[in-house]
Amino acid sequence: MIPDPLFTTAWALLHAGGMLAAAPLLKTVIKKMKARLQNRQGPPLLQGYYDLAKLLQKEPVRSETASWVFVAGPRVYFAAAVAATTLVPVLFASAPLEAAGGILLLVGTLALGRFALATAALDTGSPFGGMGASRDMTIAALAEPALMLGLFASALAAGTMNLGVLVRGLVERGPAWHPSDLLAFAGLFVIVIAETGRIPVDNPATHLELTMIHEAMVLEYSGPDLALVEWASAVKELLYLTLLVNLFMPIGIATSVEAGAVLTSLLAWGGKIFVLAVAVTVAESTNAKLRLFRVPELLSVSLGLAFLALAIRFL
Amino acid sequence: MAQLNMTGWVAIGVPAALTIRLITVAATALLAGRPRPCRWIASGGSALASALSAMVALQVIAAGRSIEGFLFLHGASGIAFGYTVTPLSAWFLIVLGIVAVPVALYSVPYLAHAVAPSRTALAGAGFNVLLGSVEAVFVANEAVAFLCAWEVMTLSTAALVALEHEQRSSRQAAYLYLVMSHVGAGCLLAAFLILGSHAGSLSFPVMFAVTGLSGSLRDTLFVLFLVGFGVKAGLIPFHIWLPEAHPAAPTNVSTLMSAVLITTGIYGLYRFCAFGLGVPDQAWALGLMGLGMLSALLGVLYALAQTDLKRLLAYSTIENSGIIVLGLGAGMMARAHGHSTLASVAVAASLLHVLNHAVFKGLLFLGAGSVVMANGTRNIEHYGGLLRRMPWTGLFFIAGAMAISGLPLLNGFPSEWLTFQALLMGFTSTAGVVRLNFPLAGAALALTTALSAVCFVRAFGITFLALPRSPQAARAHESPLLMLLPQAWLALLCVGLGLFPGVALGALEGVIASLPGLQSAPMTAGPGGMSSGIGSFDAVIPGLLGVAALTAFLATFLATRRGVVRRVSTWACGGTLTPQTEYTATAFSKPLLMIFTSIYRPRREVDALAGASPYFPQEVRYRAEIEPTFERYVYAPLVRLVLRAASGMRVLQAGSLHTYLAYVLVLAVILLMWLGGTP
Repeated sequence: MIPDPLFTTAWALLHAGGMLAAAPLLKTVIKKMKARLQNRQGPPLLQGYYDLAKLLQKEPVRSETASWVFVAGPRVYFAAAVAATTLVPVLFASAPLEAAGGILLLVGTLALGRFALATAALDTGSPFGGMGASRDMTIAALAEPALMLGLFASALAAGTMNLGVLVRGLVERGPAWHPSDLLAFAGLFVIVIAETGRIPVDNPATHLELTMIHEAMVLEYSGPDLALVEWASAVKELLYLTLLVNLFMPIGIATSVEAGAVLTSLLAWGGKIFVLAVAVTVAESTNAKLRLFRVPELLSVSLGLAFLALAIRFL
Repeated sequence: MAQLNMTGWVAIGVPAALTIRLITVAATALLAGRPRPCRWIASGGSALASALSAMVALQVIAAGRSIEGFLFLHGASGIAFGYTVTPLSAWFLIVLGIVAVPVALYSVPYLAHAVAPSRTALAGAGFNVLLGSVEAVFVANEAVAFLCAWEVMTLSTAALVALEHEQRSSRQAAYLYLVMSHVGAGCLLAAFLILGSHAGSLSFPVMFAVTGLSGSLRDTLFVLFLVGFGVKAGLIPFHIWLPEAHPAAPTNVSTLMSAVLITTGIYGLYRFCAFGLGVPDQAWALGLMGLGMLSALLGVLYALAQTDLKRLLAYSTIENSGIIVLGLGAGMMARAHGHSTLASVAVAASLLHVLNHAVFKGLLFLGAGSVVMANGTRNIEHYGGLLRRMPWTGLFFIAGAMAISGLPLLNGFPSEWLTFQALLMGFTSTAGVVRLNFPLAGAALALTTALSAVCFVRAFGITFLALPRSPQAARAHESPLLMLLPQAWLALLCVGLGLFPGVALGALEGVIASLPGLQSAPMTAGPGGMSSGIGSFDAVIPGLLGVAALTAFLATFLATRRGVVRRVSTWACGGTLTPQTEYTATAFSKPLLMIFTSIYRPRREVDALAGASPYFPQEVRYRAEIEPTFERYVYAPLVRLVLRAASGMRVLQAGSLHTYLAYVLVLAVILLMWLGGTP
């Protein structure tokens, strides 16, 4: 089943560690670009790391009404995000634990993290936690069919649902895009915006609780708990963008373990993620946040795009 | 394949199990005056009989061959009731055994607390009669025995649903259940008679072997079987009895109804609709897939709107029944197009979900029963904070909630994964516009899974977390050990079946091989892995991800451990935190009710009772309800039509003896004229 347990473990640890290290940088880059677009300076590029270090050193303050579910929530969310990274190819045309599963397992693992976090949000007895959990789970539920169909569109085109095999197949096929790829990409981009809680679905920088979706769920966390939640959210964002990049444009990805190939792959991946980050920034800065009950319309547009992608390719 | 020793205990296993049940029922009736030994005898006998039939079933599956025998044989008159345990029946018997044994154990303390002592004998005996008739349904090999067992099953369930017959809701639920079940049984009777008259015998093997039926006749039979078994399986639009009957029955019976009774309907759909009428038509497959999708989506949507915990679980059963039928429909579609390996993947997914659903739904119902018993009410809005008072029940309930949401590492994920595989491979194997049905079904399944996650975050969170919302919830105490052990066993099974799905799938291979028109596909990759069976479309090893996730969890837990944690009260915007500030279950699902307003059509009434001034109301009354679409727009007109026809026919009952004699004379003359000419 697994070729070499020791090698796979080491690779998985390195892979997850690398994603963990790069995630806060992505978040800060997007913040800084947004600030620049608004004629502000924005935070220094390493601010994400400074914030995490600060939070990890603080004492955790927890509610009297909270139980073990509240403590377990961020840790399960973080563990699920980290485990999910090992399923996705980043720098190489294969993922460390790709034998564990493909698209469905990836979506399921992220759903596991979200379940834990939403359940924990109800634990403190604060109404904002319940509101955030309710809204976030609703939007995630509506986004799931579109996410699945979009991923299925590229999986069915390649004839496999295993991400490693898919990317390897794409690399062999070379740059040859089909119009359905564009539609699927557009649909998935909207879903990524929804799943990572960015404008126009959710405002990550809002202070008004009644306008929050994801933030309201994590309102009660402090110290290390909050650090884990923020880090995991950043990792999820990087994961989604990497998935988009490697499913649609895996040019420059390394197919062997040579230093030159790895360096090229790292630069190519970094460049593509940066381009997608610019796209996310532009989407955030040029749109207003949607009313909560307009979000299903946006998500149904995404579902329609994914469905069209399937129809164009296969009918 | 192991050799089946027909001369050993396996040969008499099934009759022995039924005999044990009969003895148990008799003993329970005799001990009616002494509740305590009555409960133990009823539960013990039931557990023994279920375990025995499950072990026989395991042997049948291991050998891959059916066993036959006689339940009742009277030499002089020639009356014989035979039985056949096919591998398909064996699978359902195993599912029955896995749920029935823990439920029997749970019943011992539960019946003591929840049922009046005078009714204990009825509850115990009814329980055994119900299980015995279900086993008889699974092993019957001809129509008369099947229908007799079916009827006994219906009647015993109705008796148990109406156990608390002082309450009007129980009586109504039992009545509705009886009417719907008999409509279904009528369709089954008609179908058996038609098929039997064409086949010349009422024995199942002969009926299934009949050929040369015309297309319209086959379609009629399909529809009759579909209605008959769809009622029992809880498929929309035949589902209206389910949300009434499941909450009204005592919890041990509700658990069996959701986990086991539904499977009799599914078994019927398998045996008759899918594999009994020859190669299925594409239209049948589309019909089943459509009904499955509809049941799955509407089931979970209605579940989200419920505040009665057991009603919520009942609607969730409708949802899972829909998923099972969706898999079956996909398999039939594959068979209709001649793809026998793909059909086996879809059928395997469906049968696997039967097992997984029984396990996690059984767990959830047992937990719900404990919660209802501790609180005295089924209303979620009166729970809260139960995790502190009932920690073990909460732990097992969250395992069930995660399992039913299809999350990896638990047993909901493998069967949904396999269903997705069947749907996607069905998409690539078929051609033409009909293939778009598969991604539509896939999207519906994804939406259903995600919505059930919302539903069970709500159910678990509102019930067990935060502050108690009523005095009873603040005083609740943990259930006795005998009620916790069955839940622990089922929760362990949820985790075990989730991490090692290959074990159950391997057992299914024998079942798949025995069904006509299916070709086995290599779907297991060791005990811990599954593959999609055709080509290398996809494979999954949940245990591997479990190791990665567990490592990350432990590392995080240890790294962020702090010695002393400061506990303060939750910020309530400057006021005191009371249970009134918490989010309610109604509020949690309100966004979805507003988004799907065309399905729910919610109505609300808000009354503010003014005190001294209308701006400072003393009391606010809020009443919300969703539109009972099927009851109001499908069944109510039907009932009115039937009643109108009946009152129209009342003119025939003139009350005069002379009129009735005249009817007999006229009918006799007409019959003589009509049949007189025929030889």
